[in-house]
Amino acid sequence: MSTHTIEHGEHEVGHAPSPPDRRNLLQRPGWIRGALYTAIGFGIATAFVTGIRSLGDLDPVWELDVLLTAWTVIVPLAFLAGMGVFSYWIYWVTGKPTQPEDHSGHGAESWKDYFRVNTDHKVIGVQYLITVFFFFIIGGLMAMFIRAELAEPGTQLIDPNAFNGFTSVHATLMIFLFVVPVFAGLGNYVIPIMIGATDMAFPRLNALSFWMLPIAGFIILASFLLPGGAFSAGWTNYAPLATQQPDSNLMFQMGVQWAGASSIATALNFLVTIITMRAPGMTFFRMPLLVWANFTTSTLVVLATPFIAGSQFLLMFDRVLHTNFFEVAGGGYVVGYQHIFWFYSHPAVYIMLLPGFGIVSEVLSVFARKPIFGYRLMALSLVAILFLGFSVWAHHMFVAGMAPWLRIPMMITTLLIAVPTGIKVFSWLATLWEGRIHFKTPMLWAVGFISMFVIGGLSGIMLGSVPIDQHASDTYFVVAHIHYVLYGGSVFTIFAGVYYWFPKMTGRMYNEALGKAHFWLTFVAFNVTFFAQHWVGLQGMPRRVADYDPAFANWNMISSIGGFVLGASTLIFLYNMLVSWRSGAPAPGNPWRALTIEWQISSPPSKYNFDEIPQVVGGPYEYGVPGARHVVLNGSRTVETEKPEPATAGAEH
Amino acid sequence: MTSIAHTDSDHGHSHDHEDHPPEQYYSSKVEPPILGIYLFLASEAMLFGSFFAAYFFARVAVPHEFWPPIRPGTNVQFQLPVFLALINTIILVTSSVTVHWAVTSLKRNYRAGLIAGLSLTVLLGLTFLLIQIREYMRIGFSPRDEAFGSTFFGLTGLHGAHVFMGLMFLTFALMRSMKGHYSAKHHLGLELPAIYWHFVDVMWIVVYVMVYVV
Repeated sequence: MSTHTIEHGEHEVGHAPSPPDRRNLLQRPGWIRGALYTAIGFGIATAFVTGIRSLGDLDPVWELDVLLTAWTVIVPLAFLAGMGVFSYWIYWVTGKPTQPEDHSGHGAESWKDYFRVNTDHKVIGVQYLITVFFFFIIGGLMAMFIRAELAEPGTQLIDPNAFNGFTSVHATLMIFLFVVPVFAGLGNYVIPIMIGATDMAFPRLNALSFWMLPIAGFIILASFLLPGGAFSAGWTNYAPLATQQPDSNLMFQMGVQWAGASSIATALNFLVTIITMRAPGMTFFRMPLLVWANFTTSTLVVLATPFIAGSQFLLMFDRVLHTNFFEVAGGGYVVGYQHIFWFYSHPAVYIMLLPGFGIVSEVLSVFARKPIFGYRLMALSLVAILFLGFSVWAHHMFVAGMAPWLRIPMMITTLLIAVPTGIKVFSWLATLWEGRIHFKTPMLWAVGFISMFVIGGLSGIMLGSVPIDQHASDTYFVVAHIHYVLYGGSVFTIFAGVYYWFPKMTGRMYNEALGKAHFWLTFVAFNVTFFAQHWVGLQGMPRRVADYDPAFANWNMISSIGGFVLGASTLIFLYNMLVSWRSGAPAPGNPWRALTIEWQISSPPSKYNFDEIPQVVGGPYEYGVPGARHVVLNGSRTVETEKPEPATAGAEH
Repeated sequence: MTSIAHTDSDHGHSHDHEDHPPEQYYSSKVEPPILGIYLFLASEAMLFGSFFAAYFFARVAVPHEFWPPIRPGTNVQFQLPVFLALINTIILVTSSVTVHWAVTSLKRNYRAGLIAGLSLTVLLGLTFLLIQIREYMRIGFSPRDEAFGSTFFGLTGLHGAHVFMGLMFLTFALMRSMKGHYSAKHHLGLELPAIYWHFVDVMWIVVYVMVYVV
């Protein structure tokens, strides 16, 4: 490296390719150095805490609370440094000669490259997807335990404390390690291509965002190993329950910090990419709706996620430093925690839904062979949800003892959100109207999403009304609602997206029959599992309790059976994905005859997506419009224009 | 921005381009890192917002006559060093001016102004931090003393951590400037810490007004 010229500016290019790294394995970025640095970080953190505590005559010197805080901050940083995530920045900030970007971190030649720090958005996208589905399975297994315990009244498998641990970790994993980041994974893969960019704006930040995610998952899962079992105050982790819990509660707080940092970094990256790196001709109102959805979601993430970070910081201070932010005895305002928490966590519902809205818009338009109905209003309704999403947080707190005057305004804004959401639902239906619908697997998921999401949306309007909420709060009605919104809603869109882009990502087709079997089994089992919970909830069965009144036994047994079938249906998905990835039929560049840019290049895309930056010439959804073009790619390839369809489809344009 | 030699577009075969991506097209005049740091600072402002939320909740929850609380064993209230903090505010605002001077000097290729501006900024920042630490040691209450103490140390501590980070960035920028790095055209490495420093300054004014004055 000493051969490099000192870099005076940031944008000097044209260096010779960097020489091979001659350092030994302990010094070269990678897993071995990562392990070494992890061990060193562990030692430093332990020495730091015990040293300060013994110097300050604090008793006991070995205080687990404080040690866990130091470990969960310092050890992951050391690991990341060992993996080489920070190397470039450290060189850059200190003014050492940086390794010029020679694109050695791009592309993946073998499966091993997916386990290294890579700066290619396509590799990072796949890394994200694999990681989050791993946590999806773990969280799903916990759901199996929960349903097994709830199959009958009384205690079957697990004691109440473990039950609460399972419900808490299940929700935390599904939200922070699956639904939120899975859209970052899908978006990472397709959004730069959709807007005609070669990569994300900050590839190294992108790599850091990804590598923070498994750390968060590891910390959350590690809480099972601590004395007292996993954290069990629910995924909302309300004070003062949280501060009275065993030390494992810290693992929730720190895990959420890492996941939150990861999602802020990705969102920032998406925003900069979408604003500054669109291909020529790609105006805002020519962007595919997934890009719009990601743009609004990322804005939400950047502005809202700091609030959950703040809430967990303050909770951590209350726990570790014995401050009084939420301690009533010390003058703190305990409901304040809930305000700060929900100021993130309600927008988080839209963070988990808007990208799904985008995916569904893509899929519906392509498989109905029609332009999306009301494109501009679809885009602007996303923006409306973005703003309204910040004004409804306290509808989670109608019975929490907050200021009573806040209830009615929050109820009104909550019901107002149904307007832009309704615009979307009706536009999707109008898109289907008189379309030439092809019920491929992604389309099944998208249509299934609309019906399930409407059910979840309607129970949401019920819960948004103060009187119904006072009756149904903390019952299984809420559990049913959240699962109709986040499983029937978000997860269905995730499956739609994964099946839709699977050929693009892997270059192979998935098995259509297995895909359809997966959908139908999931669709039926999902409804069997969660629909009955509306009824037991309205009759008063409380959530987050391991035991229940025998009067609810029948519906719970049905719910549990549905739950196990739902779990089993996921195995079909996993089998389909793994086998098709290995040996599926080769996928053409554009199996769905879609117009958006990612389908106009090979499957999988070449290392840098494009030979030349494409030129965008029209809207992304002009299906059935003769001669309509979205994009012109330079070079040898021409755009695969839509075959003119009979005039019935989309004739109004 | 990065213009890689790349003229063989008329061949149009992907194999020619395997080693370099095509030249990226930028659809905005804003440089990506500048937009990035502004978005990051928006995120940071919201983090401060969450701490301020806890502060305002505590102020609303605690009766007026107990804010600040009564010092145990006496009947006088805790006091915040409003005047000292005002001096600190002046110091920090001055440092914003000096860092701006450093950036404009660099853009005019006036290296002495760059070094002097940055050195002054680092010195002023250090002074701010030392005064803040001194204030913590003499203030007479701890983060455990009621929600008052918690929110005071929470907000000023969060801000102090940002000052510390900003100082690190500025110190590295100063070291690089002394080595002759940066030029009138390539000054992103100085501009980013400077923007961050202005943010830290603005946040301090908000913290000062809300915590010390109001």
